[in-house]
Amino acid sequence: MKGVREVEGHTSDILFKIFGLPVTSHVTTMWAIMAVLFILGLVVSRNLQKVPGRLQSLAEFTIEGLLNFFGGILGPEKARRYFPFLATFFLFILFSNWSGIFPGAGHLKGFKPPTSTWSVTIGLAIVVFVLVQVAGIREKGLGYLAHFIKPIPLLLPLNIIEELVKPLSLSLRLYGNIFGEETVAAVLFSLAPYFSPIPMQILGILFGFIQALVFTTLAAIYISTATAEGH
Amino acid sequence: MEFTWYEFTWAIINFLVILAILYKFFYNPVIKFLDNRSDEIRRNITEAEQARAEAEAMLEDYRNKLAGARQEAQEIVARATRVGEEARAALLEQSRAEAATLLEKAHQEIQRERDEALKALRQEVATLAVMVAEKILGRTVAKEDHIKMVDQFLDEVGEVH
Repeated sequence: MKGVREVEGHTSDILFKIFGLPVTSHVTTMWAIMAVLFILGLVVSRNLQKVPGRLQSLAEFTIEGLLNFFGGILGPEKARRYFPFLATFFLFILFSNWSGIFPGAGHLKGFKPPTSTWSVTIGLAIVVFVLVQVAGIREKGLGYLAHFIKPIPLLLPLNIIEELVKPLSLSLRLYGNIFGEETVAAVLFSLAPYFSPIPMQILGILFGFIQALVFTTLAAIYISTATAEGH
Repeated sequence: MEFTWYEFTWAIINFLVILAILYKFFYNPVIKFLDNRSDEIRRNITEAEQARAEAEAMLEDYRNKLAGARQEAQEIVARATRVGEEARAALLEQSRAEAATLLEKAHQEIQRERDEALKALRQEVATLAVMVAEKILGRTVAKEDHIKMVDQFLDEVGEVH
């Protein structure tokens, strides 16, 4: 049951340090995902054709699909403004989730799905939290801060708690799903290494997509709520 | 559930880094490209519509011109026909007049010829009458008879006239 213990992250997993900041397998996997995204983006954007090839079609489909999706939540103008953030959340989380499908994820040194640890998901959720506050103040000025004392100032603590609960629920949902899925896959693998994890891996593709979409959709909804007119 | 500050920090740093990278190398160029292509397609459609409108206007213009030309051609033909008709009528009239003149001349000629012939005949008849009278007078005709006969003869000649 060594594998399970590793997935659960009980073992200290510091590989090395950069500027005193310890680097773990989750971090190195993030870097690998960043490298993949960077290369894919570069390959597509360096060779944009009027009549798109397969990869470009996929990229166009992804970008236009996300843009339309966010547009449905935020309206076309705000969707464009916050698109880089929302799309990056989606792509980064999607690739992180999907990285757990590969054999050896959670077992090999330096290879752990980043979203299977709460440290990473709460980090991403805190970025969402800051983004929502900044977006609210930017779009509505001090009027945004006024919503904390509405409808009555007495609710100020509750409103603050509500605001703080948002990133907490975002991060716990993502972490719980991916970690749970990883754990189940690891248990299945330790029971019967061949074939048994395959259904879990197939479901993992679906869950990974859904969780990335849920996280991003909620982030978009939070921005929409914070920047809505006449709130 | 384990939480470590360093993984938390790395998550934020990594997110911001990949955000910047994707913005610069992926979203920005691709969205710009898509926008440009949309604009281009929109522009092409507008241009095509304009071109079609122009072509239609041109076609209409040509149709009008063609109709005008056809009408003009008809007018020209009609005018030419009328002119020809008139010329024919004039020519016919002229010919008719000439023919009438010739006929008139011929009549006059005939009349003249007849008059001359009559004159000549009358002279001949007078001569013959005198000769006949001489012969008759030379034998049996009395003086009274002679006068009577000449008178009669002259009357007859006058009747012929």
